[in-house]
Amino acid sequence: MTKTAKVTEFRSVADMTIGESAVISSVGDDCLDIHCHCLRLMELGFTPGQEVSVVAKSPFKDPLAVSVRGTIIALRKTEAECIKISTDGIRN
Amino acid sequence: MALEIKDPAVNNTPLKKSINETKLPVIALIGMPNSGKTTLFNALTGSNFKTSNYPGATVEYSIGSLVNRFGFSSYVMDSPGIISLNPSSPDEDVTISGLFNHPKFGLPDVVIVSCDCTQLSRQLFLVKQVIDTGFKTIVALTMNDLLDKKDMFVSEEKLGKILNAPVIKINSKKKEGINELIRKAEEMYLDESIVDYKSTIRKPGHPAEEDVAKLYDYTEQTEREVLESKNNIDINEVNRKAFRSLSRTPDLNSMKLDKVFLHPIWGIFIFVISMGIIFTSIFWIAQPAMDIIDTAFSSLSQLVADSLPAGAWYSDLITNGLINGFGSVMIFVPQIVILFILLGLLEDTGYLARAAMLIDKPLSKFGLNGRSFIPMLSGYACAIPAMMAARTISNRRERYLTIMIIPLMSCSARLPVYALLLAMVVPPDKPWIAGIGLGALYLFSIIASAVTAGIISKFKKTDEKSTFMLELPPYRTPVFRHVFKNTYYKALVYVKQAGPIIIVISLLLWALTYFPNVNPEIPESKTKGLTEEQISKVIESERLNTSFAATIGKNVFEPVLKPLGWDWRVGVSLISAFAAREIFVSAMAITFNITESEDDEDNFQTSILASMREARSPDGTRPLFTTASTISLIIYFMFAMQCLSTVAVARKETGSWKIPAIQIVFYTIMAYVLAFITYNGLNLLGIQ
Ligand SMILES: Nc1nc2c(ncn2[C@@H]2O[C@H](COP(=O)(O)OP(=O)(O)OP(=O)(O)O)[C@@H](O)[C@H]2O)c(=O)[nH]1
Ligand SMILES: [Mg+2]
Repeated sequence: MTKTAKVTEFRSVADMTIGESAVISSVGDDCLDIHCHCLRLMELGFTPGQEVSVVAKSPFKDPLAVSVRGTIIALRKTEAECIKISTDGIRN
Repeated sequence: MALEIKDPAVNNTPLKKSINETKLPVIALIGMPNSGKTTLFNALTGSNFKTSNYPGATVEYSIGSLVNRFGFSSYVMDSPGIISLNPSSPDEDVTISGLFNHPKFGLPDVVIVSCDCTQLSRQLFLVKQVIDTGFKTIVALTMNDLLDKKDMFVSEEKLGKILNAPVIKINSKKKEGINELIRKAEEMYLDESIVDYKSTIRKPGHPAEEDVAKLYDYTEQTEREVLESKNNIDINEVNRKAFRSLSRTPDLNSMKLDKVFLHPIWGIFIFVISMGIIFTSIFWIAQPAMDIIDTAFSSLSQLVADSLPAGAWYSDLITNGLINGFGSVMIFVPQIVILFILLGLLEDTGYLARAAMLIDKPLSKFGLNGRSFIPMLSGYACAIPAMMAARTISNRRERYLTIMIIPLMSCSARLPVYALLLAMVVPPDKPWIAGIGLGALYLFSIIASAVTAGIISKFKKTDEKSTFMLELPPYRTPVFRHVFKNTYYKALVYVKQAGPIIIVISLLLWALTYFPNVNPEIPESKTKGLTEEQISKVIESERLNTSFAATIGKNVFEPVLKPLGWDWRVGVSLISAFAAREIFVSAMAITFNITESEDDEDNFQTSILASMREARSPDGTRPLFTTASTISLIIYFMFAMQCLSTVAVARKETGSWKIPAIQIVFYTIMAYVLAFITYNGLNLLGIQ
């Protein structure tokens, strides 16, 4: 699988650049891991249809600061990968 | 050294009183992290619990009584912030179990849910969950001033109707809406229209993802209906036009500041500089205040010594044991105050959450978590609140590992010890070297803890997934008044707790060093040609040498400690310091029996140093405190688990003796071995 194909098919919050906004399409749909914390992500406010944007990244590129529902939440990349965004991400 | 805030009006077990009093109604405060619960709790109960701009400031529930002024006597329970009724970390467990099965109260009579109205759609999630459970619920809207800055406001009536629960806007800092809130709580408590409503309340189970999504649909719908614009503009219209929905945009200033504070280069630079400033300024700023306290205690001791009968058995105990012992601990109040003020200010700005995020990646290399950062940082003040702060870490292994290494953080109780020992090895004309030495000790303690954590995490693997999700609160200008007040109470606790321990241990030690040979026989030949004062010194040293402490010390401690270059007196002081590290200084004052202070103009520190310099090694051939033996003593203190209260808290926080036992055994062996290597290594290098 080429890199570009991956990006267009399964973009997640982890792939977003700083300042980019997008709409969440699904959370944890393809997570196979039983220890996954996707439910917690949803409880935190990352629900499908919600708009998110990446505000900043830690100097070590991980975790990311993601804005959702009026607040900013820091997430590790592995967690951000569970939050898929719709490909037709809307630009600001 | 325990530095928990225990306000006299508030404690966790006030309930052993009469049955009548237990019948008082209970109001529980529930809400998402950083939504203003503790600020409200303080306003309601007049207590001074710590509030800070960091999600996870409160990790234990606390119970207080409503201030009389409100005319409604009831208990109020503050709790750690939760995201939902489905807990995922120990601090959230505390809230949920306090809410659904409090051991003494059972279910609360009224629940006040605090709701930060700048993130309405998110915070209503928990509000709705609590209401649906069947509690008598009041919604307290907080942060209205911040929403106002965005030119918006919430319509209480509309929200109340939708939720079918009373909604009240409050500002706990300005004490607005508090009275109304209490009146409503009283009214709801007295309302008996729903008979036996408590029996219907059940703790909800694990929600399905669809339920969460549905509930959020509801909160979004609600938000659209209740949020209004000050300028009479239709919010829906605004949201439709601008893509970013205005009501869900985080604080704009915070987003700008994050560009700097989380910048790849500036971010790290600011982090290092701010940590550096905190730990170095402790020493530079505090010095003048410390000198004043030192002088004050020395003159007091002098004054008392002059007014007590010279040579009486208790004169020495009072001046050397009690006054100087207490003084030696009080000297460090300025440093502790400065540490607390700086940490408090930093916490209140909202920066610490960013710092935790920034350090997450490096810490995860050592098996820790970004959330370990705050506990580790507070470990520099005291291990006890630090271990409790680790409750916000949801992964068990990471939490235990954090608790494991917290005793290695250089807590404030070590300051008196380090200061004394460093003064021994640093040339008196170059005091700045001691400052650098202390800085190096702090740095070394970080490295040592990272290495320890790294080693332990190599041995213990789990498949429990590690997570890091942390809300970054908006940046705020810290409220100096709050920080100072918090600091004042903490310093008060330090003084209050140190006092009794020092008195008890001092009395005990004094007795052990005074008896049984109270009036030792000195052969004539030894006292010949000596002045009266010299004779009394010979008597004193003979008494000490044949005392209980010496007998035990020489037989038990000295063989073990000799390879490190220490004698039984150091051993006795070390054992006393197990009650609390700072006791070491006053214990040294007693076991080394500082008699010089009476005729010396100098202050206490100088006099204890003088008698330490005079002390000879067991065989009498050379000084006891050489550079090598003093540095090995410092190294010992860096690692040894020298604090009973920490052991007790580690036991409580981990629920078993395993971790505290490992800490005692492992850290003591490590301390001993490293001190041994230091002492003998330095000797080999030719440094005595
Ligand atoms: N502007 C504003 N700030 C507030 C208000 N209420 C509380 N704060 C601030 O919000 C921050 C968090 O308050 P806390 O009372 O510690 O929050 P908490 O809900 O107890 O937080 P946790 O214990 O972490 O769950 C502090 O910096 C408070 O000073 C308010 O009405 N307006
Ligand atoms: Mg709190």
